[in-house]
Amino acid sequence: MKITVSINLGGYSFNIDEDAYTELKRYLKNLELHFAGEDSSSEILSDIETRMAELFRTKLTNYKQVINIEDAHQVIAVLGTPEDISDNERPTARDKFSSPGYHRMYRDIDHRVVGGVCAGMAAYWDIELWIVRLIFFILAMMGVGILIYLILYIVLPEAKTTAEKIEMKGNPVNIHNIKDSVKKEFDTVRKNMKL
Amino acid sequence: MDLENNKAQMRKGILEYCILSVLSRNSCYASDIIKELKEAEVIVVEGTLYPLLTRQKNAGLLSYRWEESQQGPPRKYYELTAEGRKYLSDLDKSWMELVESVNLIRTR
Repeated sequence: MKITVSINLGGYSFNIDEDAYTELKRYLKNLELHFAGEDSSSEILSDIETRMAELFRTKLTNYKQVINIEDAHQVIAVLGTPEDISDNERPTARDKFSSPGYHRMYRDIDHRVVGGVCAGMAAYWDIELWIVRLIFFILAMMGVGILIYLILYIVLPEAKTTAEKIEMKGNPVNIHNIKDSVKKEFDTVRKNMKL
Repeated sequence: MDLENNKAQMRKGILEYCILSVLSRNSCYASDIIKELKEAEVIVVEGTLYPLLTRQKNAGLLSYRWEESQQGPPRKYYELTAEGRKYLSDLDKSWMELVESVNLIRTR
């Protein structure tokens, strides 16, 4: 069972799975940032939303009435990420600095011992996990580590979705990365099942 | 040398020209333009089209009107303005010149 969200996209109403909704919201936000320097950026976005609605309509039948995460990924691949789009037009200043939001610190709950704070930091800075753990251990011995850990635990969100897990490592979220990630997760699950 | 990058640069150069050419025949809904551009393989991701349309509209080359649709909400139909036609005929001319130049070099 999944929670669905009801949205209005380009004048059509859709029921959409919660994870697909999060994904779309992130995608549209990134497009919005990409076009922010442009005159009439809201017009461009609303045109793209209209097209998105059209593409989603082709994915629905009497037997399939909810937009799921695969539909969202497929439609995003057809419309293109901000990077795909900017290949074809003049680069904007924003591309140079890349969109904020592509590299964020999360708690990595897949590799956690306590709350995934150390694993999240290791993924963010791309350093060995044991080094971060050692530093926290030393800090804890000095008496401040546990407090710092607690604060970070509260402040940092968990990396729940595939997109967030990719962002944690600082790779742009695009269909290839998502495919790779999903495949990796699938392989891990398969390995665990065999054991 | 990066072949893919080279191809992308070529496509980029002619995309705006292709959009205007599609619209020179009759006024079009954005999705019809996409269909033609995809069939001709000059566009890869659809999102590329919309900023170009809006820029061409802001530059006075295109205008649009809203038209009722049986399948859903009203649709935006784009058409060339007089200025757009003039611009397109200039592009037509320079395109022919380019083709001639390239042919001249290739067949020499």
